[in-house]
Amino acid sequence: MPKLNQDVVIVGTGETPVGRLHGVSGVEIQAWAVRNALADCGLTLRDVDGLVSQQPYNLPNSGYCLTVAEYLGLRIPYCATLDIAGTATSVGMLQQAAWAIETGHCEVAVCVHGENSVTGRPKDTHGFALQIFAGGEEFEAPFGPPSPPAHYALYAQRYMHEYGTRQEDFGAVAVAHRNHALLNDNAVMKKPITLEDYMASKPIASPFKLLDCSIPVDGGGAVVVMSGKRARKLGLKGIRMRSIVERVTHNAMVGGVAIDELGLEPAAKELMNSAGIGPEDIDVAVVHDAFTISVILMLETFGFAKRGEAGDYIRAGHASLGGKCPLNTHGGLLSQGHFGGFLHTLEIIRQLQGKCGRRQVEGARIGMVSGGGGIFAVTSGMIMEGPAQ
Amino acid sequence: MNVPHSSTTAVFWDACKAGQLKLQHCQDCDKPFYYPRTACPSCGGTRLEWRQMKGTGTIYSFSHVHLALGGYKSWEAEVPFTLVQIQLDEGPRMLSRLVGKAEESVKIGDRVTVAFTEREGETLPYFRRTG
Ligand SMILES: [Zn+2]
Repeated sequence: MPKLNQDVVIVGTGETPVGRLHGVSGVEIQAWAVRNALADCGLTLRDVDGLVSQQPYNLPNSGYCLTVAEYLGLRIPYCATLDIAGTATSVGMLQQAAWAIETGHCEVAVCVHGENSVTGRPKDTHGFALQIFAGGEEFEAPFGPPSPPAHYALYAQRYMHEYGTRQEDFGAVAVAHRNHALLNDNAVMKKPITLEDYMASKPIASPFKLLDCSIPVDGGGAVVVMSGKRARKLGLKGIRMRSIVERVTHNAMVGGVAIDELGLEPAAKELMNSAGIGPEDIDVAVVHDAFTISVILMLETFGFAKRGEAGDYIRAGHASLGGKCPLNTHGGLLSQGHFGGFLHTLEIIRQLQGKCGRRQVEGARIGMVSGGGGIFAVTSGMIMEGPAQ
Repeated sequence: MNVPHSSTTAVFWDACKAGQLKLQHCQDCDKPFYYPRTACPSCGGTRLEWRQMKGTGTIYSFSHVHLALGGYKSWEAEVPFTLVQIQLDEGPRMLSRLVGKAEESVKIGDRVTVAFTEREGETLPYFRRTG
């Protein structure tokens, strides 16, 4: 079992508005998020000696962490760019920061991701600069447009075949996420939806309809990680990272493994075992939700619901505020907005800090983040623990 | 499209041009695999040989693509079409596409056979349903 140094803590978060950030560049968004995160815990750029950045997918450049460091005027001993894939990267960035701090390379590290993937995409491309996204072009592109929905849909169709998941179950995911987004002022989707709205939404790539798909946005988020010693000196209450895991099986759909060979199950087991807890101990969770199938798969693999029963679990309200384990309380990629997945991690930190206002899970102490990337190619996870509220 | 081929992957595409579906077979672990690589993804072996497949298999999964999300103009005239994962009778799975427009009757387990299709200077291994 990988052990984490228990004396590294998360002390601050910052996010930018999400939506269409016209006239703001990728690096400006990242700098904005960093400033907000530092302000959140009463620090300044002068306190920062470590930086981990994920480059924007729409317009990356080599050495992106240096771009951000230079922009912020940082001259520091530890700087790294990380891109595992999708929402898995956010967990990976915190892991990098924790490692750098516990081995003494820095004391206060900021992890940041942000991009203007909607308003800042190069001409004639869409969303993520998709040639970068997939990686399997030679054996994928000839058969269809490089389209994440269609590739996730292949897993969704197969999942329905193997476990009996129904269209209505995907719909339950969409509705639950929208309900949570309505409690988040920084979510782009503002209108309530019903299962009927879901069923009537236009077909994209069967079994997916429009409301199965996340909504691309511009936005940024940052997290401040520091040594426990420094946090105590500053009188900051930190969030502990109790376990972190990652499992990789493939990248693009052309290399996609069977559902029972995916990395989710071993990742889930190791995540829980390392932290010495089970799903029943988790007060609040965020999981990858680029498409509704991801949520079904995560709930059923991480042990929140039995195979084929995630739809029932959600309809019973267990994943909603007030339920057994509220899930994606910020509205997720489906209804808050989708740029990378860093706001998932921020949501859990804030829930454990008791800073979530209308959507606060009362008494939340143990939180789980599960990220994914590629087409179920990588699963990452983290268990965090907050101070008793 | 226009993704460059390596000298290894070119063997696959050249075989398609000749109307043959050829995959690599690892002589160390006796398994065929897809897509073409310079080493076997099961055991790392590099004693590989190209073998011709029967070109038959079953639909492992499918998606009727209704919208070419992303402003891919060249695909718009072709939707709805059906993207498929084919499980070849020899074992490996391929990502491909069914010939023609999407048909509601497609289901997992349907039998298929390779249907080479000319497109943008390449010969592509699409599939068609049989029986
Ligand atoms: Zn082998």
